Amino acid sequence: MSLDTDLAKLAVDYGLSLGAEYVEARLHRVLEVGCLLRNSSPEPTILVDSNGLGVRARYRGALAFGATNTLSTQSVKELVEEVVKRAKASTRLVGEPVEFSGEEMGRGSWSAEEKERLEDVGVQRMLKHLRELDDVIKDGFHGVSFTNRLLIIETSVEEKFYVNSDGAELCSRVPRLSISSFINASYNGKNYAITIPAGYSSLGESGGWEVFKRLDPYTFFKEEGSNLAKAVKSERKPPSEPVDIILGPDVVGLVAHESSGHPAEADRILGREGAQAGESYLKRDSLGLKIGSSEAYVSDDPTIPHSMGFYLYDEEGVKARKRQLIEAGVIREYLHNRATAHVFSTKSNAAARSVAYNREPIIRMANTYVEPGDYSFEELLEDIELGVYIKSFMEWNIDDVRFNQRYVGLEAYLIERGEIKEGVKAPVLEITTPRFWSSLDARGKDLQFRAASCGKGDPMQGAPVWTGGPHVRLRNIRLGAR
Amino acid sequence: MDLEDIASEVLGELVKLGAEDASVIAAQSFERMVRFSNNALSVTKSIKDVIVFAYAALDKRRIMGSTSNPSQNALKGFARRLIESCRVLEPSPYYAPLPKGPFTYLTHTNYDPKIESCEEGVLEEYAKQIIDRATKLGGERTAGAITAETSKISIATTGGVTQSDRSTRILLNQRVFVGDASGHGLACSTHLSAFNPLVAAEEAAEYAKKAINRGPWSEGVYDVILSPTVAADLIQHIGEASSAFAVESGISFLAGRVNEEVACDLLTLVDHGVAEGAVNTRIFDDEGVATRDNVIIEKGILRTYLHNSSTAKRFNTSTTGSAGIIDPHPWNLEVYAGDYGLDEMIKEVKEGFLITNNWYTRFQNLRTGDYSTLPRDATFYIKDGEVKYAVAGLRVSDNILRQLKSISAISRERRWIYWWEVTTPTLAPYMLIKQTTITKAVG
Repeated sequence: MSLDTDLAKLAVDYGLSLGAEYVEARLHRVLEVGCLLRNSSPEPTILVDSNGLGVRARYRGALAFGATNTLSTQSVKELVEEVVKRAKASTRLVGEPVEFSGEEMGRGSWSAEEKERLEDVGVQRMLKHLRELDDVIKDGFHGVSFTNRLLIIETSVEEKFYVNSDGAELCSRVPRLSISSFINASYNGKNYAITIPAGYSSLGESGGWEVFKRLDPYTFFKEEGSNLAKAVKSERKPPSEPVDIILGPDVVGLVAHESSGHPAEADRILGREGAQAGESYLKRDSLGLKIGSSEAYVSDDPTIPHSMGFYLYDEEGVKARKRQLIEAGVIREYLHNRATAHVFSTKSNAAARSVAYNREPIIRMANTYVEPGDYSFEELLEDIELGVYIKSFMEWNIDDVRFNQRYVGLEAYLIERGEIKEGVKAPVLEITTPRFWSSLDARGKDLQFRAASCGKGDPMQGAPVWTGGPHVRLRNIRLGAR
Repeated sequence: MDLEDIASEVLGELVKLGAEDASVIAAQSFERMVRFSNNALSVTKSIKDVIVFAYAALDKRRIMGSTSNPSQNALKGFARRLIESCRVLEPSPYYAPLPKGPFTYLTHTNYDPKIESCEEGVLEEYAKQIIDRATKLGGERTAGAITAETSKISIATTGGVTQSDRSTRILLNQRVFVGDASGHGLACSTHLSAFNPLVAAEEAAEYAKKAINRGPWSEGVYDVILSPTVAADLIQHIGEASSAFAVESGISFLAGRVNEEVACDLLTLVDHGVAEGAVNTRIFDDEGVATRDNVIIEKGILRTYLHNSSTAKRFNTSTTGSAGIIDPHPWNLEVYAGDYGLDEMIKEVKEGFLITNNWYTRFQNLRTGDYSTLPRDATFYIKDGEVKYAVAGLRVSDNILRQLKSISAISRERRWIYWWEVTTPTLAPYMLIKQTTITKAVG
């Protein structure tokens, strides 16, 4: 792919000449391929080429964003004129003027590690692998038929050229690959729509075609298919009294994302997403707030190699780093872009992301996870007299301040006297955020990640992320039942 | 090149390269948005796109794609890449020839040049009026977005179709906060003259004020009244489940239920490609077939799934003008009006809740319809036919088919709902649903 970097530079210079106090331009191209196999036969393969220029300008504290995919000098100039004009028109209605924190601006190139370029992998090869994957699961397991199967491989190659009037100039390239599925599992006349991986998530990493081998989807689909087939046969209800719970990494990663990552987004805390994704139970002065036990550690780190949310510089030219959101149960850090960092009199921690040329950069997570501890799985289990192990989930939701949440188990087991016993049907963990993090008393060593798409923004942006964590133990929780 | 020329040129290129079936859509959109929060503007947006979508089939091999590069050379490269990739695919048993025209298309007036041409400052002025009105009525903070969109679209297919369409819409999504209480307001229209954001602002502010003083409640089974916004969320999931592709993929709770009773006889649900005030108006689908009115549920009986030509072939029926090349889908849903007023509904509730907004609907089992969703903004406790006080922290945890059969009243009043959480425009009423399970988080 090639990006016409002169057009982006022109946009910045032209915006400044029109009176803007700050201008940034981002050439942003994403090439995507989607291969779908439904019940062993191909649906149309999908090829997407999204390519254009996004421009953001600030005029007397008013912020405006615009985008076009007509990449000519004339249309870029028209876009910049429109953006600056819109910023000027809104100055009278701006409350606190938008200002940016002072940051060292990145220059140069960065990319995700990549061995075999995805552009060189034909769709024929992808479909062949999907068919082999289908062969692994199509007969079902343990008497459970997988009557309907939709298997999907998606690849994307994201290339950007970013320049701003504060001195940033960055080129980047991130390829990604993910594998997901929808399956109807049928047993004794009952039907259960499941996904592999569970929880509507994906196997996914950044990188080239070597990711497919690294993910080892054949082994994963075989094991997960077998486990979930057993799970849908479970009939036993969870205990009605409060019990100890062990949560698997899939659930833990989602909790980290939903009840720690989202509420730490400073734009939510300041109310900017109020009418869409909502606000936060955390306030401007909540740093230092004790929200959980001394075992509660949550981080977000864009710099993890191979991660789905990988980046080294954000969409404002700021160098990425790990963010410690919760440390020993205490709220330590929010996710900031340059505008919110200015409001909080701090530095940006490079959380500004945009998924396409026609989307404004906003505060996003990258790879959010509970830090691993030092317990083995057996050690987590051993002193539980009666409990439930919720390994994976399907249904989940959380309120718009990220306080009241629910996770419903898919693969789940009874624990008796430190041992895993029979399957439990759809245990419901419906809990507040402080109660969740305060009940956590032990973390496993086994950090695992899952790929997901995180929705936020208006217009909506689905950002590639990892969610992760080890097995964790919660004490004395009352579970519901479906 | 104009959109018609782009569509025809790409179609010609695909055919020249060997496509036996092809459908090309050239779409131009212009979206302007003003977002506000804390009673002030936070950002304005202006997005212009020209996207070309194409579907091609040869020897029953099928491929589709899109490009955002509308230059002549790039479009040729796009067509070449599609056909080269298509040639190496396997023939698919899901192939069906594209329907042959000519078709008779409906006409509509859902295009307003005043929305297309509205200049800078117009949306900003709306935002100012909304904020002022909400504040005057006691709102402490207000946040939201006003969006004006123009869509122009042209299609050319090997079925002999060349057709164009255009539409506009203007939308408001707003929340008003008083302390930690909030109210929600929506407005959506195809014409500037019918856009009335101040009514939405007033409703959001009034709800927010009424939601301040909250009372106790317990988990249990209750009668619930869903506002049009909440009913539309429920209904859009019925729309998704009515896709024949969803049925075939095992992710539809409507699978195997055609001509069966899936709801109480009060419920009639229709999908319209074209309807007055519908903000996703289209006169043709992605295969060039004329859109039409499809009665999905008639007096509680599931009458049809939504089809494109491919799913129709497998179901031994005809397309319903709902393509999506892969996944047929509804355009604009309508729930027929009932004969209740909201006050009459409230009087019928012995103990229950009035839910004015919700979000985050997720399914445990899409095949059976087990799901939960979170009321947000103002929710009220009803006892012995009267609204008593506001409540917070509820979760609806139920089964969608059970709820559809438990609808006991539908209102005369209906509203078009389309916003961040309801992405299929839906003309929805208030609905009273009996015996709904409400749960609460462990604190």
